Amino acid sequence: MRTKWNRVLTALTAACLVVGLTACGEEEGTAGGVDLEGKKVGAMTDFKAGDQFKATQPVEFRVLYSDHPNYPVKNDWLLWSEIASRTGVKVTPTIVPSSDYEQKRSLVVGAGDAPEIIAKTYPNQEDAFVASGAILAVSDYLDLMPNLKAKIEKWKLQPEFDTLRQEDGKFYLLPGVHEERWQDYTLAFRTDELTRLGLATPKTWDEVYGVLKALKAAHPDVYPLSDRFEGNSILNVAAQSFGTTAGWGYEQAQFDESTKKFQYTGTSPEYKKLVEFFHKLVAEGLMDPESFTQKDEPAIQKFATGKSYAISSNAQTIVNDYRPAIKGIPGATVAKIPVPAGPKGDVLRVSRLENGLMISAKAAESDRFVSMMQFIDWLWYSDEGAEFVKWGVKGTTYDKDASGKRALKADIGFGGMNPDAPKKLQRDFGFQGGVFAYGGSTELLQSMFTEEEIAFQKAISGKKSLSLGPPAPFSDEEREQATLWETPLKDSMKQATLQFILGDRDLSTWDAYVQEMDGKGMGQYTQLVNAAHERYKQKNG
Amino acid sequence: MVITERQQKPAVVRPPRIGDTRSYRVFRAVNVFVLLVVVALTLYPFVNIVAQSFSDEQAIRTGRVNLLPQGFNVKTYEIIASDSAFWNSYLNTVVYTVTATAISLVLTTTYAYVLSKHHLKGRGTLVGIAVFTMFFNGGLIPNYVLISELGMKNTLWAVVLPNAISVFNLLVMKAFFEGLPKELEEAATVDGLNTYGVLFRIVLPLSKAVIATMVLFYAVANWNSWFSAFLYFDRSDLFPVTVYLRNMVAGATTAASMGSEQGDVAQVNSNIKAVTMVLTVLPVLAIYPFIQRYFVSGVMLGAVKQ
Repeated sequence: MRTKWNRVLTALTAACLVVGLTACGEEEGTAGGVDLEGKKVGAMTDFKAGDQFKATQPVEFRVLYSDHPNYPVKNDWLLWSEIASRTGVKVTPTIVPSSDYEQKRSLVVGAGDAPEIIAKTYPNQEDAFVASGAILAVSDYLDLMPNLKAKIEKWKLQPEFDTLRQEDGKFYLLPGVHEERWQDYTLAFRTDELTRLGLATPKTWDEVYGVLKALKAAHPDVYPLSDRFEGNSILNVAAQSFGTTAGWGYEQAQFDESTKKFQYTGTSPEYKKLVEFFHKLVAEGLMDPESFTQKDEPAIQKFATGKSYAISSNAQTIVNDYRPAIKGIPGATVAKIPVPAGPKGDVLRVSRLENGLMISAKAAESDRFVSMMQFIDWLWYSDEGAEFVKWGVKGTTYDKDASGKRALKADIGFGGMNPDAPKKLQRDFGFQGGVFAYGGSTELLQSMFTEEEIAFQKAISGKKSLSLGPPAPFSDEEREQATLWETPLKDSMKQATLQFILGDRDLSTWDAYVQEMDGKGMGQYTQLVNAAHERYKQKNG
Repeated sequence: MVITERQQKPAVVRPPRIGDTRSYRVFRAVNVFVLLVVVALTLYPFVNIVAQSFSDEQAIRTGRVNLLPQGFNVKTYEIIASDSAFWNSYLNTVVYTVTATAISLVLTTTYAYVLSKHHLKGRGTLVGIAVFTMFFNGGLIPNYVLISELGMKNTLWAVVLPNAISVFNLLVMKAFFEGLPKELEEAATVDGLNTYGVLFRIVLPLSKAVIATMVLFYAVANWNSWFSAFLYFDRSDLFPVTVYLRNMVAGATTAASMGSEQGDVAQVNSNIKAVTMVLTVLPVLAIYPFIQRYFVSGVMLGAVKQ
């Protein structure tokens, strides 16, 4: 149902974009020089990095707000009143249930009815809206955002920001930024069982295979690994060290450093290796074939009842899902293992960009435009803003001791902190809500981590980074053509991946699969990507 | 007239009872069996949700809850019952459902009544206009723009006016009205009633069955609908309970998007989900059995044309 609506919406949006483009193509002649005259209502004249933004007169901005069922938005949150008193800005949220946030976003942008600030947008999600002209090319206005510029400089984020560039060399998304790369998802194992069998924590995917084999030998009647997230997490994590992308992180084209050209990901030798590895796990009964189709609940149930010993996990699911679930098994313990190394070595391929925001193009016409950019810069990119949306108000929701260590007030709980507190940081105050600042400095990010999670991050911090590949932005017509190829290619790739892994299709037919993909436009698609890449290289050096 | 004739007929004398044929008994046994399977298939998930709503979260996680609650607990009911956001959206649903059903009923009845008159000029066109909307519509974004331009966004009207007439229901009702004896209306006209008098004092009192059916159709559809509210409302205090529920159920299973920071991916408790679902379907469940007898007769009445 969701995907069906997605497609309908995408098609509709695309149609509207085309109409909108021809309609307004002639009016806009003044690209290039940005005229900010008359748009400075409420703006500070000398706003610098580290300054507290305070509007010189009260202003109001609308935000498209993703409403989480666990902590539904309330008008009397301290978050809103504190934003107002610190910055003089009244934030009016347009509430969208998080279950269907993306649909509504497509709709309001397509209908030209989007709020000024369109929050909670992940990198690449902005692509679909660029051609319509409904979204502001924010890269033209970075001078209004001193905190962001300082962060790009200090954390050397320029290469990551370059991946956002569209065909015109501009970018349209203001992403959340991390100081350092951050990998959360990996596999979790029943550590008591590993200890009992005298098995060491696996450090590579080959060792994972070995450990699963030993678990299978000890428990011949179970699948030691029965995964959740429909396999998307484990494929995504493993693909990094196999030198490709898969699962959640799948990208249609991957850059080959040796030939300096893009090739199609799903038919690359690296991807084949990945598929072979998981085929081996399934074929030898080490991995539950249902891992790729079952919902999360049955996977957790199997883990909780000793019918499996490994499952994909992040820091939260360990605490929220698995630890409470295995309480029924005496002596059972569970922990994340450091992300295993693979054929490409001990590497991670993680972007430091997080979900961020788009700005409605109409906002640039507003007389409050400059103050809005300054406000966004402060709330999303300043250290104070990031700390504020995460921890709340010092002295009210948290305290900070002399060493800089923060602690929530005793009567306020969040996650594993003060679990029995009557009030919750998210539900009752609106902080840490997932709509405003994401990421930030490593110190801030880890300030809410458990000891265990900090140790995990430390364990993987020595890993090398794999490059993210250069930009290859499409023009409007190319994007339209590419979309026509991408959907069937991705569908066939997914289907074949599953068939190969589950053994429904023999791996000896891989060449036939590559041929099939070629018949679906893989070659032309790859050409298109390479052409776009060449063009970008010539234009931007 | 047909009706009086039937009433005057002497009661049929039943012939002495003959045992059902063998094949009929077999048919009946199979029939009962098949229907019991259908009942089990539809009832089982529902009973399971009810059992979950009274169970301990731990028991649900480990898959021990089946038909009976495990680790009996009503704490969640207490929590949900004290959640003002839930009751606010519940109240919204009641208001929207009542208003929308009333509007739909008036519009559908009057439209259907007009269409049932064969002497009406342009009747075919009117039917055509209605049927056309069954197959074609303006699409999502134009609809959204229309509702926004009419200033109906964030008002009750955005959910109660669009699609107020369901063409299917309209056609059922039209067929029902066409089946009413013309002579009744002629007699009423001779006795001095105008068109509205005929409609209100003769036709409608005879149409209780079909009206009850329409109330049921419209009320259930409105109670369950969430999409238009999701599209046209920007404030959570306007959301009906279905949007609240959907966010809880669908949002929780798809929230595990990659790269989300902690706290964002937290799932809603299955126990809380179950309680919300039970509370949401309760009114429909309570009303359905009482209207259902009209439902059968109402639909049958419309189905056959004399």
